[in-house]
Amino acid sequence: MAAVLEVKDLEVVYQGVIQALTSLSLTVPEGAIVTLLGANGAGKTTTLKAISGFLPLEDGRVTRGSITIGGQDLLKLAPHQIVRRGIFQVREGRHVFSEMTVEENLIAATFAQRAARSRKEAFDEVYNYFPILSQRRHQAAGYLSGGEQQMLAIGRALVADPEMILLDEPSLGLAPLIVKEIFEIIARINREKRVSMLLVEQNAVIALKYASYGYVIESGRTVLEGTTEKLSADQDIQKFYLGVEAHEAA
Amino acid sequence: MSPLQQFIEYSIVGIAAGGIYALIALGIVLIFKSSRTFNFAMGEMMMLSAYFFYAAAVTFALGPFLGMIVALVCSIAVALVIERVAIRPMLGRPFIAVVMVTFGIGSIIRGIVGMIWGPNDLQIPAILSRSPIMLGDIFVPGKTARAFAIAVVIVVGLIAYLRYSRAGVALRAAAADAVTAYSMGIDVRRIISFTWVLAAITGCISGVLMANVNTLTPHLGLVALNVLAVVILGGMNSIGGVLIAGFIIGWLEAITGLFLPTEFREITPYILALIVLLVRPTGLFGTKEIERI
Ligand SMILES: Nc1ncnc2c1ncn2[C@@H]1O[C@H](COP(=O)(O)OP(=O)(O)OP(=O)(O)O)[C@@H](O)[C@H]1O
Ligand SMILES: [Mg+2]
Repeated sequence: MAAVLEVKDLEVVYQGVIQALTSLSLTVPEGAIVTLLGANGAGKTTTLKAISGFLPLEDGRVTRGSITIGGQDLLKLAPHQIVRRGIFQVREGRHVFSEMTVEENLIAATFAQRAARSRKEAFDEVYNYFPILSQRRHQAAGYLSGGEQQMLAIGRALVADPEMILLDEPSLGLAPLIVKEIFEIIARINREKRVSMLLVEQNAVIALKYASYGYVIESGRTVLEGTTEKLSADQDIQKFYLGVEAHEAA
Repeated sequence: MSPLQQFIEYSIVGIAAGGIYALIALGIVLIFKSSRTFNFAMGEMMMLSAYFFYAAAVTFALGPFLGMIVALVCSIAVALVIERVAIRPMLGRPFIAVVMVTFGIGSIIRGIVGMIWGPNDLQIPAILSRSPIMLGDIFVPGKTARAFAIAVVIVVGLIAYLRYSRAGVALRAAAADAVTAYSMGIDVRRIISFTWVLAAITGCISGVLMANVNTLTPHLGLVALNVLAVVILGGMNSIGGVLIAGFIIGWLEAITGLFLPTEFREITPYILALIVLLVRPTGLFGTKEIERI
């Protein structure tokens, strides 16, 4: 199962008129962490929505291009089928079910499982990566801190046991220390479980540190790509995404 | 009988009547939670179920037990057709448009029932014993008491099921945030169908109970409008609140029946709902503001 995700020349239109992506291409090899960088409104979340099949839920449509995983066409599948195919999205803004307990949030994610796995086995794995969630398991998710909610959102992905996790701005609104803690765990999950990741970030410093390959998009098209070493050395990237001053770069 | 004793007796009878209201309310809330619409056809679904029961038990002489099973199966089938044909294509449309569709479905059902069974009252086989229940020296009519007991068992069972089962988690997830529920692999459209099935079951049982306590008429379902008022009163997204409100309305109807002319009985739920909504737009126990229509 060569689970290579390939997005080719994607065009997306919302409400029949708003063009959010014009020509976006990217590849996520098996087991890799690939990052997708871009300014606000560049089309990062739209790309993830297209992969997960969420666009029809928001009156959006793929009007050109293709999305495949291991050669299988994802555009033909409904959102719940795509998750069960092994591609799990951790949505921007975490979206925990705030009135449900931590454990009920994890139970909800069991619907994404491809192969039967006992609930205990799945939850133990989550609690192993995120011990704090174990302590809070009977608490309503709405009362968790932002960092804990992000952990729960990633924990739900672990329950699903996917081949690939799409992460939409996991660092959003979190303190630097927590961000580092969460990224260390993301890296561990990638290493230990061989789960590939497509990581959308505003925080380019951290994204370039943990990913091996990156794409930069601007107004709905890919404008730059390369290994993260190469991107980190790029002058435009330094200027616009890493906040390095012009005189340092010159 | 002393006035106090009479008050207590009316209260108990009223609360007992509220059991069926709570059952109907539960069906309405489940559909609201999943489909984000007030189901104005709930009363007609109840009424149709009671006629299914009549047809199976009397016309086809299957008796009450098999009759009930046939009624349940037919009610579920009708609910699934309604959801699939009329509600699903309306997903994402404006609230008021979907509400109007449920109104339309209600009229169609009333029309069809009128054509098949005519406007007159029908007698259905008694499934509830008449023998009264005595609480001390307070007299509770037998049918009302038994209907109450059945309603409570079903309501408690359903709530426990939604609270503790995996399907209940999926339903709550889909109701809270459909996109995220999809992202967990939950097929939200199937969840919506599932709530219509549950509503068909509560509607069928409450319809047959109503037809037993009163008689079977094409107007049987009108009570569901009172219940809708109840549901708004309880706050659309609080199941517990809705149930409590069901009992309150049952009680209030009985008590106003004691002190005021019968005409008031019909309108008390609406007056109460209006007052509550003016004071608390989220309903008594709700958390979010109801979209205003
Ligand atoms: N549901 C929608 N309907 C209409 N337009 C939308 C919708 N969602 C996004 N857009 C538009 O598509 C464009 C890309 O949005 P998208 O959310 O993909 O950006 P993003 O790169 O994720 O930005 P951010 O960093 O702010 O999250 C924006 O111009 C946005 O306004
Ligand atoms: Mg975004």
